[in-house]
Amino acid sequence: MNNGHNPYSPIKTEVIDMIVETPMIKTLKLKPQEPIAFAAGQFVELTIPGVGEAPFTPSSRPSVNDMLYLTIMKVGAVTEAVHRLEKGDTVGLRGPLGKGYPIDLFKDKEILVVGGGCGFAPLRSLMYTLFERSGEFKKLLFRGGCKSAKELLYKHELEQWGEKPDLDIRLTVDVGDASWKGHVGVVTDILDPIGMDCQNGIAIVCGPAMMMKFATAKLSEMGFQDPNIYLSMERNMSCAIGKCGHCRIGLYYACHDGPVLSYDKIKGFRDVWA
Amino acid sequence: MVVAVFDPEDGARQDKREGLFGGVRRAMQFLSNENLFVWLAGLKRDYEVYVPLKKGPFRFYERYTAPSPDIVIGEVRATEPLKGFFTPVKEKVAELFNPEPLRKKQKPMAIVGVKACDLKGFLVQDQVFCKGCQDPFYNRAREDNLIISADCTQAIDSCFCLALDVNPYPESHFDINLSEVTGGFIVEVGSPKGQQVFDSHKTLFQEVDTMHVNERKEGRKQVVAEVERNIAKHGVPHQNEYQGMIERNYESKIWEDEAKTCTECGACTTICPTCHCFALVDQKEGAEFVRYRQWDSCMLKDYARVAGGGNPRPQLWMRLRNRFEKKFDFFPQVAGLNACTGCGRCITACPANIDIRRVLKRLVHNE
Repeated sequence: MNNGHNPYSPIKTEVIDMIVETPMIKTLKLKPQEPIAFAAGQFVELTIPGVGEAPFTPSSRPSVNDMLYLTIMKVGAVTEAVHRLEKGDTVGLRGPLGKGYPIDLFKDKEILVVGGGCGFAPLRSLMYTLFERSGEFKKLLFRGGCKSAKELLYKHELEQWGEKPDLDIRLTVDVGDASWKGHVGVVTDILDPIGMDCQNGIAIVCGPAMMMKFATAKLSEMGFQDPNIYLSMERNMSCAIGKCGHCRIGLYYACHDGPVLSYDKIKGFRDVWA
Repeated sequence: MVVAVFDPEDGARQDKREGLFGGVRRAMQFLSNENLFVWLAGLKRDYEVYVPLKKGPFRFYERYTAPSPDIVIGEVRATEPLKGFFTPVKEKVAELFNPEPLRKKQKPMAIVGVKACDLKGFLVQDQVFCKGCQDPFYNRAREDNLIISADCTQAIDSCFCLALDVNPYPESHFDINLSEVTGGFIVEVGSPKGQQVFDSHKTLFQEVDTMHVNERKEGRKQVVAEVERNIAKHGVPHQNEYQGMIERNYESKIWEDEAKTCTECGACTTICPTCHCFALVDQKEGAEFVRYRQWDSCMLKDYARVAGGGNPRPQLWMRLRNRFEKKFDFFPQVAGLNACTGCGRCITACPANIDIRRVLKRLVHNE
């Protein structure tokens, strides 16, 4: 599977650009020395030399693999170092890792994508893929929420998405302000009514643990079937190849069997939402 | 001419319980005590040879230099687990941005006197490091290192291998096995690599005597009886009774109760032959950044903590429960085996007297 390569060794990668998204979130534009062909939902390990590694799901178009974008919130030691990076710096990437969204299973289905805060990052990559294959699905809906208008990611792009005839999009913020004309409240508020065939529909959720917990409960209540609810599980990861033990959720390793896992698989385990 | 002699019963316990590794019959030879040291000296040409050395009541693996009365091939397991020879506590696994594989060590290692409980550890470690995406360092060590195992000739109070269906004598996963008998050892070859090593020292081995075979059989029976007495004394349940015990007791007070004295030192996971968790740690070395694979412990608070502070197991008792869940629920379900070998090391290592035998007993009996 690793073709004789050292799975712990990262690919040397150049920082091409640093884009400020919000006060806490930046997007890195990265050019690895070897292309990394990832599917939407798969992730990479980013090495900041001398600081350490952390896992991120690219926020860019999977069909472009010589350049990838990682959207990163400042929350810990590695991500603080990420925010100090400058154009031209050298970092490392390992990947693609884990399993992405099983998009072939979504054919002829109605798809609801639910995002919260920094969860917009992996979902942007997914949305690009879904747009590219848009004729294959019955319906595509996006529901997104974040703390405030100031912290909304990819504003410009979301506006463009709003003009797409094949996408039904609604956004909300927890706390409104003068600049925000849309809905105010948590994302579960704008899930119902949704106007789709929930029994047979696909729901994809990515966001903070608490948001995913409540969104999943809401989606179940609306009639979505457990195997059709796809969640992006956040866990402490180290090796990212299913060996080091850290990211275990019940019988699965988030790094190897996920990070995207359907709800039926993990529902029975206790510490799923921590 | 050397005549192959087979042990007709192949182990003393077959009547009662199928051994973990089943009953493979192997040809047996004899190695005298004097020739053992000639052999070890010969092995030093191709291997770094490690032997168990007695220090007080304990045995530790030390590099073999010369014959010594402190070298104990039989007796019982060493204090440290075997895993350190295959995934060292801290091993360099990458030099950042050097795509070349790391240099091979000078010589592979021959580890002598390995006991059956540590060999069972391979079942778990192999499952982790050889399945799916392979760890090249572990795999290389598995290919290169030589395992010369040995029968236990005694049990200590913490031994409970039989509860996990591990017999106190090696049945597989060795290259060569030694069974101590009067004047020397019965030698069995367990792998092609072992056969090669055996063949290149052929003149040292002699035909085995029926007396020695009987002696081994008797010796094995005695050690089995000792372990059985331990199991009875401590009321250790047999693994046939483990199914469902974690699920049943998930919300039980057992965990909080047992974790009360835990000091979160991580000794239990460090000394366990099946615990495999590690963390990748980057360090500056000269002008380079290097990456180490370093043992980690699921008992430590930060083990599962994510950036931003979220922790699926913030309480110590949750981590204790998780450790048992991994051993007795996860591994049985994903690999069909309990990740415990009954070696009892964690019992001796724990400064807080958390006794795995007692925990298993409480879980099985819902106490």
